[in-house]
Parts: sequence; C-alpha cells; structure tokens
Amino acid sequence: MIKRTTKINPTWCPGCGNFGIFGALRLALDQLNILPHQLTFVYDIGCSGNMADFSYGYGFHSLHGRALPIAAGIKLANPKLPVIAIIGDGGCFGEGLGHFISLARGNHDIVVFSHDNYLYSLTTGQMSPTTKKGTITASTPNGSVEEAFNPLANAIINHATFVARGFAGNISHLSALIVAAIKHRGFSFIDILQPCVTYNKNMPYDWYRKHIYQLEATDYDPTNKIMALQKSLETDRLPIGIFYEINKPTYHEQVLPASPTTLAEADISHINLPS
Amino acid sequence: MQKFNFKISGAAGEGIKVAGLIFAQTAFRQGLYVHGYTEYPSLIRGGLNTFQVCADVQPVLAPEAKFDLEISLNNPSLGKPKNIFAVGFACARLGLNLAALQTVIKETFVKKTTAVIKHNLAAAEQGYKSCQNPLQPIARPPLTNQILLSGNDALSLGAIAGGLKFFTAYPMSPSTSILHFLAAKAKKTGIAVRHGEDEIGVVNMALGASFAGARSLVATSGGGFSLMNEAIGLAGVSETPLVIVNAMRPGPATGMPTWTGQADLLFAIHASQDEFPRIVLTPGDPEEAFVLAKLALNLAEKYQLPIIILTDKYLAESYFTFNTPAVKQTNQRYGFASTQNLDTNTPFLRYSDSKTGVSLRTIPGQPGGVHLANSYEHDESGYATESSGERIKQVDKRARKITTILKDPEMVKPKLFGPKSAATTIISWGSNKGSLQTALKSLPDTNFIHFPCVWPFPKQEFLHLINKSKKLVTLEANSTGQLNQLISQVTGIQIPSKILKYDGRPFYPEEIINQLKQL
Repeated sequence: MIKRTTKINPTWCPGCGNFGIFGALRLALDQLNILPHQLTFVYDIGCSGNMADFSYGYGFHSLHGRALPIAAGIKLANPKLPVIAIIGDGGCFGEGLGHFISLARGNHDIVVFSHDNYLYSLTTGQMSPTTKKGTITASTPNGSVEEAFNPLANAIINHATFVARGFAGNISHLSALIVAAIKHRGFSFIDILQPCVTYNKNMPYDWYRKHIYQLEATDYDPTNKIMALQKSLETDRLPIGIFYEINKPTYHEQVLPASPTTLAEADISHINLPS
Repeated sequence: MQKFNFKISGAAGEGIKVAGLIFAQTAFRQGLYVHGYTEYPSLIRGGLNTFQVCADVQPVLAPEAKFDLEISLNNPSLGKPKNIFAVGFACARLGLNLAALQTVIKETFVKKTTAVIKHNLAAAEQGYKSCQNPLQPIARPPLTNQILLSGNDALSLGAIAGGLKFFTAYPMSPSTSILHFLAAKAKKTGIAVRHGEDEIGVVNMALGASFAGARSLVATSGGGFSLMNEAIGLAGVSETPLVIVNAMRPGPATGMPTWTGQADLLFAIHASQDEFPRIVLTPGDPEEAFVLAKLALNLAEKYQLPIIILTDKYLAESYFTFNTPAVKQTNQRYGFASTQNLDTNTPFLRYSDSKTGVSLRTIPGQPGGVHLANSYEHDESGYATESSGERIKQVDKRARKITTILKDPEMVKPKLFGPKSAATTIISWGSNKGSLQTALKSLPDTNFIHFPCVWPFPKQEFLHLINKSKKLVTLEANSTGQLNQLISQVTGIQIPSKILKYDGRPFYPEEIINQLKQL
C-alpha cells in the first residue's frame, strides 16, 4: 500500500466533507499509481488547507488566497509533476479570485479543487463568495447582500479547459472526477460540494443528496461550451460530473523552451551572457 | 576634448528619449564615455521630457547640471523630425562623425519603413550641416571592453549570469524595463518570463518556481513591493529563496512615478509581519547592479531567504558606460540534499535545526525528500506546530542565518572612496555613489563610505572604516535620514549632519559640494 497519510490525525469536525474529499483524492492517486514524491500539493489557508498536515506528499502550505499562483509557479519550474491545489471557496473566489481567473485564462496545467462549503468555516462561519443571497451568518446578521458567485460559470467563461463539479458525499464519483482532472492537460477545476456540519446546518448531506443529479446519467456533451454554461446556471437542482472539457495547449507548452530539461533541473554552472 | 553636456527637451511623444539615446550611442561608439539621464512626467503625450547626455574622454559617473548645449523642440527653426534634426546638430557641435550617427539611426529604426528611415537620415544630415560652430572632430578609437547600458539592463544581465530561470513581474515604473529586457531575451536564455495578473500573483508564483528548484526573480516599485509584503514573510518562514527588485520612486502611494528617491530602506528591512532574516542589497551603479543581482540569486539559494535589491529610478533608467561583464559566467548550487540515503517513507527533515541556521532542501520529484514547506510555524519536518519549544527552536534557527551571513566572505562590505583618513567622511548607500565619487574630486580632505549592502548591517566593517573619521555626514535621498537612523540603532553612533534630498531628483555633484560647505 502506498503511504498517503502522515502520523497526524485530521482535526476536521466529525462528519466534515473534507474526509470524503481526502478519501477520494487518495483513491484517485492510488488508481493513477502516483507516488508521494511524484506530485506536489499546494494548500490554501482554511479547513481544507489543513489537509497539509495529514496528507503525505510534497506540499506547500501557502497563504490565504495564494495557493493557485504558487501551484502555477511549481508547474512552470517542473512540468513533469502533477500539481494539485487544495483551496476553499473563500480563498479561491474571495481573496484569490484574480489568480483563479488569470490562471484559467492562461490554461496553466494545474488541478484546482475548490472545497466549496458556501461559508468561511475556519474563521467560524461567516458568509463566503458562494453563500446564497440573504443567508444569515455571523458577519451578515441581517442576511447577506451579495448575489452568490458562480464558480463553474466563471471557470467556463474564463477558458478553463476542464470544469467539473463533485460531491464530498459520493466518493467513488468524485474519485473518478479527480482521476480525469489529473489526467487532463491544462487548467482542471473541480468545484466540490462540501457539507459543513458545524456551521452550515441548512445544507447537510441529505440536502445535497436531494438536490444533485449526475450529468453522466443524462444525454450531455461536455465539449459544448454553451451547454456547459447553461448547466452551470442551474441552481434548483445541482448537476455533478464533467461540465466541460476541451484540449488546448497549456501555458507551459507555449512559453517554455522545447527541452526535456525542466527549469528546476537546468544546469546553471556555466552561462554564456546573451549579446 | 572638454567634457560635453547636452540636453534635449520636448513634449512626451516627440521622441526625446530615442534622440538622447541615439546621441549617447553615437558618442560612445566614437570612444567617449557617456552618461544619460532622463526626466519625464507620467503621461504619454505632452508635458516636458528631457534627456541629457554627458560625454567625456574619462568615465562619467553622475549627471551634470550645467549644459554646453541645450535644444528645445519648441524651437520653430528646427527641421523635421525635430528630434533627429536636433541630434544631428548636437553631433556636429561635439565633433562626432555624421556617418556614425547615421549608422546608429539605421539600427535604431530597423523595424521602421524605408521611407521613415530615409526621412530621419535626411533630418540628421540637415541638422548636422546646420551647425555653424562645430568643435574639433573627435578622432578616438572605440573604447575597449566598455558597454553602454541602463541600470535595469545591467541588473537583468546580472540575473541571467546568476542562473535566473524564472522571472515574473507586473509593469510598474521604474522597474518595467527589466521585464522588457528579460522578455526579449527569454527564448535565447531559456528563462521563463511571465507578465502576471498582479504583484501578489507574481511574487507567489516566483515562490512556487523557487520551491520547485528554479532560481526566481521579481521586479517592482514601492506600490507593488507593498503588495508583495505578505509573500516576503512566506519566503522567510518557509525558507524559500526569493529575490525581489524594488526600483524605488517617491511615494507614498502613487507618489511621483517617474522620479527618483531612496525612502524605502527601512521599509525593506522591516517589510512583512514578525521577525525573520533577509538581505537588503543597495547597488550604487550598473556594475554593482550586475554583480549584486547575480550574487542575490546565489545568496538567496545559499541562505534560503528573501533578498531585496533596492535600486531607484535614477539608477534603473539612466545610461552608464561601464566595464563589459565577462561573457562566460559560472555558478554553484547550494543546499540541496542528495537523493542517496534518503528514506522514502518518512518525511524529510526540511527544517532540521543547524548551527548555521540553514538546513538542506529537497525539491518535489526527488525520492525520499517528501516534506511540507509551510506558512504556519512548523516542526523540523514542516508540519504545523504550536509547541512552545518547537516555535522557539525554529525562530532561533532562522535568526541564526544572520550571524552566518555576516561571517560569509562572499558578502559585499561597505567601501571607502578617497583618502583613508580625512576631516570629513560622507556615508551613503545606493545610487548616490557616482555623484559622490565625482564630488570627491573637488572636495579637499573628504572621503566617502558606500554601502552596497545595508542589511544585515555590517557593523564591524563599518566601525573599522570610521575608526579614523573626524566628522561624519550621512547623505541619502529621503526626508528623515533612514541610513542615519539605522546606524544609530545598530551602533549607537548619533550623526547630526545629514544631507537629504527628496524632491524626486538625483543628487548632482555640484549640490553635494555646496551642501557640504553649508554644514
């Protein structure tokens, strides 16, 4: 068995959606036979990012909102490594939204999991960018004013080349999505519906089970951008599965020298200055 | 020949800078040392742009305030295009060769249409022939082993020499031409260059690339540097090498974007919350900018910490004649653990406590090196900890790097110019170096100490240099005397005499001489 966990026990609340996501991730890595030293995780700050201490593999536990540019930098320096960013809805669509949009547009070859629980949970349950308008939270006692951010629609219109939604309560389905996302060359985004059992009592596992349905079970073509955008706008029922997937050159394929040697491995012992 | 100082001025969009550079290049190719300095407002059309070029048979290290020839493009008698006509006139006046001027024009406008080039060549000739009182023709061979470059160009070349593999920036005056220079050389040098979405994305991306093993650099000015502050702390605690160029301009906030100043020194030394080691380098001229950019990339890797290179608009965007760097450059790599003997099933002790404060690194992909680089306080393997003992151990380990750095013979030390002992010793840092060296020639019984590295403060070397000094004077381009304060903080020595300038203009040698007289 490949070692995937550290000696540190997860500190997530019992029943937290992060357990399901972490389990699905380990299954996917086992299926792909990627060893812990053969990939890099970049963790944002938040409950999801605390996976840094529990997951065995090269990792960088970064700053709130900044996991994505760090991930993209690692990928440019060493495109041989799968680079997986673990980030929450607050980091990805609040503090770090500019990075999300820019790196999606550039088709940077990174895998982004947004652990989307519709709240800031590590800071004890304030509204997040994906919180439904009118929700009462600690920071919005009179109900939140902003309309909710739509992660999938934004990923699609900003040219992400793999856009999917998973559910922390369906591990086998999510694990298959993660395998597809890691295999995909380019910006791979999975918005993961994640119940927060402590602060989001209105959206427990059952709520999600009642609202979601699998795209694969319908007649759906994930190469059609307009259809994908339409699907991403559904809010009364929540489709899960691959919304959109297309092949395009990645960022590093377009900017790096055509050499098998990565920037990280490049020999710098002797350099000739350019004229 | 006598030193010749020429200034061309006109509105933005009239080609003042290109004209100044053509004149500088023509003079340089005919064996003269040149120094070019430009002033311009932050706009694309209108305003007053100036470009001044001082040419001499000996090195010119500073801008000069007195002009031998000034041409304003407001002058209605100039042929068209006015800027090139003016340069033709100035070349004739100085005694430069017309054919040489026309070669430089052809090279400068190589991407323009034949008609445009012809038009400019004709204007140059017309201007040249309109000069009624030319000086003696210059008959000098080209300078050997000299190069004409801006401070930003020199710094960029130094970074290439230092094994730079990843550069990313968001445009901000006066750092922007580093991005232009490196983007233009990216293919040839095998460096990845990215114009990022904002300075926060830029600096974090550089940290990612550096963590993965590629030497990385970012460049910005004060505003962008402010945005990068949190990531400087991340580099500090995660012990990830990072080099940041802050080409200073007057602030606060947007300030005076296209002018010069040195008011970010204490900010650079303290940027980001809490305490962690860093190095702050302060090159005085393009030659030092080259050397220190290369050194910074090496030291960042050696000590696994953030390094800030403070330049300023005057150094960044002025043109200097200096010694051509050797084409062949060599580098060492530092601090990487070898893959042998590493256990693949336990985390690598990335932050193991050590006498030097530096621990070995592994990079992603390396078997047996699995660890967590961490923004949180962490234990030796990188996992988060809030233990009192581990916290103290890691803070002390990081801080120990400063002691190690101060003992490193590779570190650049303060340098004394002028007589070993003098009645007055001027202390300064960064780009004032050239004006002070120039002023020193006219100042009896005066010497000058230049700091190419201000942090960690080289206390022993400094105390040794001022050992015989009688009167100390600090000189810097800010309003409170930041180096002066730092000297007092570190050494306890109070220096009441301060020469300060904070109007966005560089120090001129003449004004240094006058100010010293008034002290």
